[in-house]
Order: sequence, then structure tokens, then C-alpha cells
Amino acid sequence: MNSLEGLLDRPAPAAPADLTLRRGAARVLTDNWTGSSTVPSRTLYPHQWSWDSAFIAIGRRHLSARRAQQELESLLATQWADGRVPHIVFNPAVAADAYFPSPDFWRSSEAGRAAGAPAAPETSGIVQPPVHALAAWLVHLADPAESRRRGFLARVHPRLAAWHDYLLTRRDLGGRGLAAIVHPWEPGMDNSPCWDRALARVEPATPDTFRRADLAHGQPADRPTDLDYGRYVRLAADYREAGYDDRAAPHHFALEDPTFNALLITSELALAAMSRELGLPHERYIERADRLTRTLVERLWDEEAGLFRVRDLHDDTLVDEDSVSGLIPLLVPHLPKDVVRRLSATLLGPRFRAPATELVPSYDLTGHAFDKHRYWRGPAWFNTAWLIHRGLRTHGLHQEAERIRAGFLDQAGRSGFAEYIDPDTGEGRGARLFSWTAALALDLLCADHEELRP
Amino acid sequence: MLKTAVQEQLLPGDTLQAKWDFAQQAGYDAIELRGKGDLHFASRLDELKQARKDGVVMPTVCVDMLHFLGAFDDDLRRDAVAQMKSQLTVIAEIGGVGAQTPASYGMFSRRLPPFEPPRTESEDREVLLAGLTELGEHARKEGVTLFLEPLNRYEDHMVNRLDQAADLIRAVGLDSVRIGIDSYHMNIEETDPAAAILAHADLIGHAQVSDSNRFQPGAGHLDWSSWLGALRTIGYDGHLALECRLTGDPLQAVHSVPGFLKRSGA
Repeated sequence: MNSLEGLLDRPAPAAPADLTLRRGAARVLTDNWTGSSTVPSRTLYPHQWSWDSAFIAIGRRHLSARRAQQELESLLATQWADGRVPHIVFNPAVAADAYFPSPDFWRSSEAGRAAGAPAAPETSGIVQPPVHALAAWLVHLADPAESRRRGFLARVHPRLAAWHDYLLTRRDLGGRGLAAIVHPWEPGMDNSPCWDRALARVEPATPDTFRRADLAHGQPADRPTDLDYGRYVRLAADYREAGYDDRAAPHHFALEDPTFNALLITSELALAAMSRELGLPHERYIERADRLTRTLVERLWDEEAGLFRVRDLHDDTLVDEDSVSGLIPLLVPHLPKDVVRRLSATLLGPRFRAPATELVPSYDLTGHAFDKHRYWRGPAWFNTAWLIHRGLRTHGLHQEAERIRAGFLDQAGRSGFAEYIDPDTGEGRGARLFSWTAALALDLLCADHEELRP
Repeated sequence: MLKTAVQEQLLPGDTLQAKWDFAQQAGYDAIELRGKGDLHFASRLDELKQARKDGVVMPTVCVDMLHFLGAFDDDLRRDAVAQMKSQLTVIAEIGGVGAQTPASYGMFSRRLPPFEPPRTESEDREVLLAGLTELGEHARKEGVTLFLEPLNRYEDHMVNRLDQAADLIRAVGLDSVRIGIDSYHMNIEETDPAAAILAHADLIGHAQVSDSNRFQPGAGHLDWSSWLGALRTIGYDGHLALECRLTGDPLQAVHSVPGFLKRSGA
């Protein structure tokens, strides 16, 4: 593993030798390992989360290729028979009230039986963005010999293919080829203003029907309001009552999200690379990625706004909100050149440039709903910065990528690997010692950024 | 970058100088000595001093006897402590850093008949604290460290895990007693070897390496990058000393280890 050369050795700026960024990040990942996967945070998030595990594996591959493989294998082992990869896998050893909604809310093994939920462990019934095939390919590249010895790609490939098939069939709710989300937790950007309009149509569950666990550790002012939370609960309960059947569920909330679909495209290309490595036909994935790319631009690109936007399937219109989700499609390799040019201009403009931290705010800094502390309504996340960094490099925008990389490493260290930060001051918010922040810091420190792109 | 050492009996050659030539050529940074009983190690002082003069790097000695500081028999226990004191003195005299010993080896296992040892747990503890204190004070006087090595449950019944060694060392309260970890024993006894290294970072003084099957690293199925990554995370600056059996061509096996460990993150 060439990437291990110098790991943990080079001093990080302004940190004492025993607290270098590498060592700190490695410590977070070791502390948060549970034996087969990694908790995002020991305090706020005590189970396994789908896209967290993918980002964690991307960093963990620099510490242990085997554990990185196990991270993805343990998640994919809970895949439903219909192909969905659940957004939470509950650890049965953790108290039921440690997180809400808990296993007895989702009741996956019972309510999801017809959709093919496993008898155990309990999971949620919704999904998160498909970063997994990209993560699996990067994990493979970190140590191909160990990967081949363990038959890693051969075992995960069919599951990842089934996952993508699920998204491109059952979740093509708009009928135009893009995957739709059916809950604000699915795009991973729970409380973004992008969902406000669609959410307003949802009748909230009454507060006495649920008990929030997120407020016990998080700061209430940073978290979603009770009213919004009631709507989240209502949507999830309706989906559950429909047996998590995408054809039968009412789907009062159905949108096409740019980041979700951009990650699907990138992961389709990773599946193609895996197929080539395994000697399987790969053209299908390339063709699908090409088709998805064209549809992404046709359906979600907003020329006037200079970024991609969420499409609300309720009335088939673009949502008039600018968020980081609209910039992450930079990841997609075959975007039209003028789209790339506009995206990088938007990234550098007043709506998304936060010079104090160089991280990308989750919502337009000048937008009407901007709130620098509230969950996904302004704060900057590290995983979105990592994705944009990767996107900038994909298009040869190395100087811009380097600016984000430097900002990321600086802020990750300063904030104690915070879950997210205030984009203007760098003040850490949410959980600390957050796994994907540590993992992606390790990746930016260790990865060969010229490694084979899928 | 973690440094590597190799125990002297694994190296070809009749003299330490010849062994050192091979070790260096294979990429090792040091030789770990083996200390036999009956003051045999002390009798090698001239040989060791000459080797040092000739540039052989010998930071540590690992005890090579069949009785130890935790022996049931009082005479054997007293002899073991006397032998270890002598070994600490000798390793100090040749500029080394310390000597490694388990509490016992091959004396009793709670997993094998007759299952119940002749001494109670509190008596075991008393004996170990007395021995470790006496040896720790001697080590401090000599300016070196005694490394207490947890062994797996089939080889010792008293100290199997890092937390047990740490508990004794904290009770002794001397900086001159530290844990000497061994990847093979940790693989059997620790729930999460990497987490155990982080949890006891402040007390780890020495490390020995062999794979899951007691053969050279690379011949088994340990998650080396995770184990070595944890040692790098805590800023471990001692050696990884090869103590193992060899499979395949013995010279080739010894030769393969520094490169393998380096590729695995050492």
C-alpha cells in the first residue's frame, strides 16, 4: 500500500507531535469501531448509518483494508431482497431509546417482510445516497492483493448491482430515469430548505406520538424544529404502513435530488470498473451512467441559477432553493463543459464561498433561509467538501481543489473532527470525534489523488 | 516509520557480528537478545560488549528460561527474580533499554486440566506485585525498563490481557515497569487488538511480532495494518521484535519480515 508511506509521520501544522491530524483521525476511527462497522459518533449516532459507512470505509482503507471491507460488507449484509440498502442498521446491543426513530418505530422485520427485509438485524426502511460502489472500488484500490485474497469485489458486486437496480426501477418515481427520494432523511441533508415546500404539504404527526432522542445530545437550536420532526415521522410511518412497498406507498414527498443522482452516476462507473476487474460485462453500467448524466442535466440543471436544483415530482418543477446538493454533481466526469464552468463559478461566488473556512456551506449564504447553525440550512459539512474536492479534481480544477483540501484539513483539526462547522467562523457544531470527518481527513492526507478513477 | 528487531536465534551465523550482517541486509534495525538462566546471560558480557563495539544494535533481551517471577515454587520464583535482575543489569551495561518477561509460561492454564491452580487469585497478585516491585526498583536503578508480557490463556493463567498487565503496573507505580505486547497473544486474548493498544498507550514499552499461527508476520491472518496503525497512532517509538517460529525456507522467512511489516504500515 503505497498510500501508507509516511502515514502518521508528517507533522500537521501547529499541532504537537503526539496530536497530529493523522494520529487524531486514526484514533477516532479506532475508538468508533464496533467489531464489524463504525458508529458515526459514540454519543449522537450509536448504530450503523449507510452513507456514513461508505465515507468511513474510504478513509479507513488507509488504516486497515480489511476493516474497510468489513465496514461495507456488514452494511450490505442487511440489504433487503428488493435491493434497498437501509439507511440505519440497528445494533441490538444498544438500548432501544438511544436513538429515535428506534427499531420499534421502523419494525423492518415485520412491516418490511414483503419487501424482503431481513429477519435480523432490525433496520430502517428508507435509504441514503449510493456512495457505496465508489467506496468499494476505492477500498479495493487501497490493497488489491488483500481484496482479491478475500474475494471482496466478487462478494459485494452483486449486492451493489442489485442496489442500483432498485434505485433505477422502484425509485424511478418520475418515470424519467432518475432515482427519487421519498423522505428528507434519504438525501442525507435532512433539514435543507430544499425540502420545505414539499414538506409543508405533509400533515405532521402529533408530538405525543414520538420522542426525539437527537435533542438529548445535540443543541436544540441546531436541530430541526418539532413541527418538521412531526412531518418526518408522518412520512416514515406512512411508508411503513404501506409495507415499504414503493409501488403501493402514497409518497406525499417525492423529489429528484442532484447529489443523490450524481453519486449514483459515479457509483455506476465504479461498478463498471469492478466488473472489468472481475472479468464481467461492464458496458451496461457505462451506458447507464451516460444516460443518467444526460437526464441529470436535462431534468435538474438550472441555467439561470448556475447550479443543479431539486425537482419536486408533486408538480414536476424545480425547487427555487440553492444548496450544496446542486454543486456536488461536479463529481460526474462527463458533464458538458459549460455546466462545469458555471458550477465552478457558483462555487467561487458570493453564495457558496466562505473564505474564512474554505468549506462549502450547505445552503446559499445569501439565501432567505440561511441559518449558519441549523442542520443543513447553512453549516458546512466535511463529506460535501470531500465530494466537491473530488469533483474539482475530476475536471482538472486543481487549484480550487487544493484550496478546499487545505480548508478541510485545517477545520477538521481545529474543530476536533466536528460533524459540521459554522462556515464563517469554523466553530464546531454537532457531534465531535465524528467518524466521517476523521476518515475523509485521513483520505485527503493519504490518498494518491491520481489513483484510477472508476 | 516503526523500527524492527529480530531475535538472535532466528539469524544465521556463529557470532553476533555475523548475525548482524544478515539482519541489516534483511532490513532490520536491531537484534533482540535471549537471556538464558543460571546467569548465562551475564556470562556473555564480554561477547556482548565486543558486539556493541562492533556496531551491533541490541536494545532488548527476552528471557529464555522455564521458570518466572510468578512461579508457584518459592525457590524457583526467587531464582527467576535474581536472573531477571542480572539480565536488567547486563542490558543496561551494553546500552540497551530493557528486558521482557511473562508472569509465567507453561506452568498452569485454567483452560486445561486440572483447571484450578494451587494458588488463589489474590495470592497470585501478591506474588506478582512483590516480584514486579523488586524488579522495577532494580530496573530504575539501572536506568532500564522491565517489560511484562501478557501471554495467551493456554500458556499462563495470571496475565493474559493488556488490561491485567496495566492493572498490576499501576499498582506497582514505577515508570520502570511497562507492558511488552505480543501480536500473537493479543490476537487470542483481546476483543479488539487495535483498541487495546490505544487504551493502554501510556504503558506500552515494547512490542513483539508473530502472526496468528505463531509463524513469521505474513504467514497467518492477522490484520497487520490495523495493529501497526494503532502503534503508530500512539507514537510508539520502540522496536517490533520478531519472536516466532518460521515456516518455509527459514532464511527467506526471516528475510521477508521487514518488507512485509513495512508494506503493512510499519
